Amino acid sequence: MNLSSPFIHNDKTTSRIMLLVCSALIPGILVSFYFFGWGTLINLVVCSVYAVSAEALIMWLRKKSIAKALSDNSALLTGLLIGLSFPPMLPWWMSFIGVWFAIIIAKQLYGGLGFNPFNPAMVGYVLLLISFPVEMTSWLPSHEIAQQHPSFLETLQITFVGTTSDGNKLIDYRMLADGFTMATPLDESKTAFSLGLMTSEIIETSHFITNTNSWFWLNISFLVGGLLLLANRVIHWHIPTSMLLGMTITASVLYLYDNQLFLSPWLHLTMGATMLGAFFIATDPVTASTTPKGRLIYGAIIGFFIVIIRSFGGYPDAVAFAVLLLNIAVPTIDHYTKPSVYGSQTRENINA
Amino acid sequence: MSNITEIVKDSNIVKFAEHKIPGGIHPAEFKSLSNQQPIKTLPLAQELIIPLTNSDHISGELQVNIGDQVSNGQLILASATETMASNIHSPCDGTVLEIDKKNTGHPSSLPLAAILIKQDSKTPQSTGIKKATRLQTNKTNRNWISATPQEIIERIHQAGIVGLGGAAFPTHTKFQTSLGKVNTLIVNAMECEPYITCDDRLLQENSSDILLGALITAKAVGASKILFGIEDNKPEAIANLKNEITSLIKSNYNYDKKNYQLPNIEIVIAKAKYPSGGEKQLIQLLTGREVPQGKYPAELGILVQNVATLYAVNNAVVHDINLTQRLVTITGDCVPQPGNYWIQFGTPISHIIDSLQIDSGDIPHVIFGGPLMGVAISDFNVPTQKSTNCIIFDSNEKLLNNNQEDSHSACIRCGECESVCPVSLLPQQLFWFSQSEQWEQLENQDLFDCIECGACTYVCPSIIPLVGYYRYAKSEIKYLDAKNKKSELAKKRFENRENRLAKIKAEREEKRRKTAEARKLAALNKEQDPDGKKSAIQAALDRVKNKKEQQS
Repeated sequence: MNLSSPFIHNDKTTSRIMLLVCSALIPGILVSFYFFGWGTLINLVVCSVYAVSAEALIMWLRKKSIAKALSDNSALLTGLLIGLSFPPMLPWWMSFIGVWFAIIIAKQLYGGLGFNPFNPAMVGYVLLLISFPVEMTSWLPSHEIAQQHPSFLETLQITFVGTTSDGNKLIDYRMLADGFTMATPLDESKTAFSLGLMTSEIIETSHFITNTNSWFWLNISFLVGGLLLLANRVIHWHIPTSMLLGMTITASVLYLYDNQLFLSPWLHLTMGATMLGAFFIATDPVTASTTPKGRLIYGAIIGFFIVIIRSFGGYPDAVAFAVLLLNIAVPTIDHYTKPSVYGSQTRENINA
Repeated sequence: MSNITEIVKDSNIVKFAEHKIPGGIHPAEFKSLSNQQPIKTLPLAQELIIPLTNSDHISGELQVNIGDQVSNGQLILASATETMASNIHSPCDGTVLEIDKKNTGHPSSLPLAAILIKQDSKTPQSTGIKKATRLQTNKTNRNWISATPQEIIERIHQAGIVGLGGAAFPTHTKFQTSLGKVNTLIVNAMECEPYITCDDRLLQENSSDILLGALITAKAVGASKILFGIEDNKPEAIANLKNEITSLIKSNYNYDKKNYQLPNIEIVIAKAKYPSGGEKQLIQLLTGREVPQGKYPAELGILVQNVATLYAVNNAVVHDINLTQRLVTITGDCVPQPGNYWIQFGTPISHIIDSLQIDSGDIPHVIFGGPLMGVAISDFNVPTQKSTNCIIFDSNEKLLNNNQEDSHSACIRCGECESVCPVSLLPQQLFWFSQSEQWEQLENQDLFDCIECGACTYVCPSIIPLVGYYRYAKSEIKYLDAKNKKSELAKKRFENRENRLAKIKAEREEKRRKTAEARKLAALNKEQDPDGKKSAIQAALDRVKNKKEQQS
C-alpha cells in the first residue's frame, strides 16, 4: 500500500452530487404532478427504470461492476430528466426508445460517465422530438382547463395500451372545456404567429392565460430546486445566470424591435423548459464548459440560441437544441478561456 | 471573531489583508486539539537516529566516527558551502553507535544514510532551550546590531538552520540569494493546514524571540519592512505578537539610533483558508503581487521566513544555540495529551508513543506533517527531522485509508478541482494528460507550477488521487529529462571522441604523406645525382654567388 497525501476529503462524492440534483427536482415534480396529473409520475418511473436497466445492461456487456456504475446515480438522474421533459402519457415504447438511445448511444458508446460529449437526456429528447413530433408536442393542458382529467388507471392505460377501458384516447384528455385542444403556451404561440396573429392577441385568450399560469409555476418550482442546488454548492452560479441573462437580452432586443411579432422576455423566462434547462440541463458537468469564464460564455450562448430557435425555428421549444449545439463547442470554449496561471502574467510583464 | 476585531480596532500595527488568492478550501481544522495546552518538552530518547541526507548521497563532510563521544550541539556533518545542504549537529550527549542506511521516512521508504547515537546525558530532561527573553531587558545580546550581514549569515549556516515550515531549504542559502535584493521580510505565521499548531503555540508563548529573529533577519538581508502574515483563527497569537511589537516600538530608544533603524513592522490578518500559507500564496495575499513563473520571491524584493525558522535564527545568533530540536505538534485522537512538544531531532516515533502513552495499537501509520501535504509513515522507528512540524496519530478511517481504492470512478468534469486550485491550473486537464502520459502537453499546461497542496483531490467527487498523478508525471518528466540530458551528453562525448580520432587519423595521414613525399623527393634527387656531386657543386656555386653580392 502506497499512501500519498492528501488524506482527507470533503465527502462530496459523485453519487451524492447526483442524488442531490435528483432531490432538487422534487419541487418541480410535485408542481408538474399537480397540473398534469399521474402522467408525470408514470413517466418518471418508466424512464428511470429504462435508464437504470440500460446502464446495467451495458455494464454487464462491458464486464464492469454494475453496482458501482449504478451507485453513482447518474443513470437515475438522466432517467428523471428525460421523464420530466417527455409529455405525460407518452406511449411506453417511445419513452423506451428515447431513454435507451440516450443511455446506450449517447452515453455508454462514448465510454460512459464522464466521456460523453453530448448531454444524454437531451440527445434522447431530440431523437424523439424529430422522430415523433406530433406525440412529443402533445402536451396535456393544465387540469383547471381540461375537459376531463385522467385518473391513475386511465393514465396507465393510455401510456401502455393507448386507450382506456372507456375508449378514451389521449386526444380526449387534451380537449379543453370549450372543445379546443391546446399544447404548451410556446407551441400555441408558435402556431398563432404562423397564422398571422399578433402577440397582444395571443396572450389575451383566456386559456392561454390559464395555461401560462401552470407553466409559470412549473418554472418557478424548478427555479426553487435550482436555488437549492446553488445554496448547497452542487452547481456553480455561472451557467444558470449567464443563460438566463443571455435569454433576457436576446428576447428584449427582439421584443423592443417589434413587440407584436415576438414574445416578451418575461414569457421566455417563465415558459417552456427554461428553468429546468438553466439549472438542471445546461449545468450537467460532463458536457458543460469547465473554466469559470468558459461557463459564462457557454451559458450565455445557450440562452441566445434558445430565444433565436424559439422565435425563428420550426419547434416550439429550443433548450435541447441549444444545449446540444453548445456541447460540441465546449472543447473550443475551454481552450480559449484557460485561466492565467499564478505568476504567468508577471512573467510576461517582465519579458515585455 | 469579535476578539480579532477588537485587536485590529484603532491599531496601526494590525490590519486585515487587502488582497485575495484564488481557489482554496476550508477543511475542518482540528487545531483546538493541540493549541490550548502550554508547550512541554519531550524526555530524551535512549537512541536517536539522525538522518544525514534526503537523497542518495551525502553532501558534506562527516565529522565523527563510530565509537566517538559527542556532545549536544556538536557538529557531526559539515555541509559543503556551495551545496544546497546544511550543517547537522548531535541532538544529545552520547556515543556514535552506527553510521548506516536507515529508514528515515523518505516517501520512497528507501533507507538513507543516518547516524545512530546512544545518549548518555546526565540530565535527560535538559534540552538547552532557554526561557523567552523579553526584548527590552535583552541588552547584553545585541552584538548582532553591529554584525555584518555576512557574519549573521555565516552564523546561521553554522547553526544548521533550514526552513522549518516544512520545506527544509537551507536558510543561509535563501538569505545569500536574497542579499541586496530584498526590502520586505514576510513572516509566514499562516499555518493553514489542519491539525498543525506549533507556529501558533510558539507565537503565543515566545513571540518576543520570534520578533527578535525577524529583526535579525531583516538586518541580515537589508529589509526595511517586516510583515507578519497570520490567519484569523489565531487570536491569542496575534494579541501576543501585537503587544510585543507595541512594546518594541516604545522601547525603540533603547536601541542605538545611530547604528540601527527599526524596520516598519505590521501584522496582516487573513481569513483562514487553505493553502494561504504557501509561500507564493502568502505573497499574493499580503502584497497582491505574483512571483513570476520560474523565479524566486527575491525578484519582487521579498523574503519569506516561517516563524519557527526565525525563532531558530534568534537562538543561533543571540544565544549561540545550534539547531538540534524543534517544536512538534503531537495530535490526533490516539494521543491522550495532544499538544506541542520540544523534540530533539532524531527521536524515533516509538519513543514519542512510549513517553506520551499514545494508544497506537490499531493505527497502521502516522502522518508526518498535515493531512493535506503530509507523508504517511508506517515504520515507527522513523525519527523526527528538521522538517517534522506535526505528527498525527489518528484512528479516523479516512486519514488511514486515504480513499486509495483499486480504481477511482470516472472524472465527471465538474470543475470543482479548478475552482479550488490556488494557482489557477486546470487540474482536470492535467489529470487527463497524466493518465495518457502526454508529457509535452503537461508542461504546456504548467504542471510544474502545481504546489501539490491537495485542494483538488480534497474536493474531487470521483475521489481521483489527482496529486498522486501529478507527482508521478513530474517525476517521470524529470527522469526523462535527466535521461535525455544523459544520452545527449553521451552522444556529445561520442561525437567528440569520433572527431578526436578522426583528427588524430588525419594528422597521422598528413605526417605519413609528408614523410612519403620527402622520401620520394630524396629518391628522385638520388636518381639524378647518384653520388651527390651535382648538389655539392651547386651549393658551392651558390656560396660564391652570395659572397659576390655581399661584396658589391
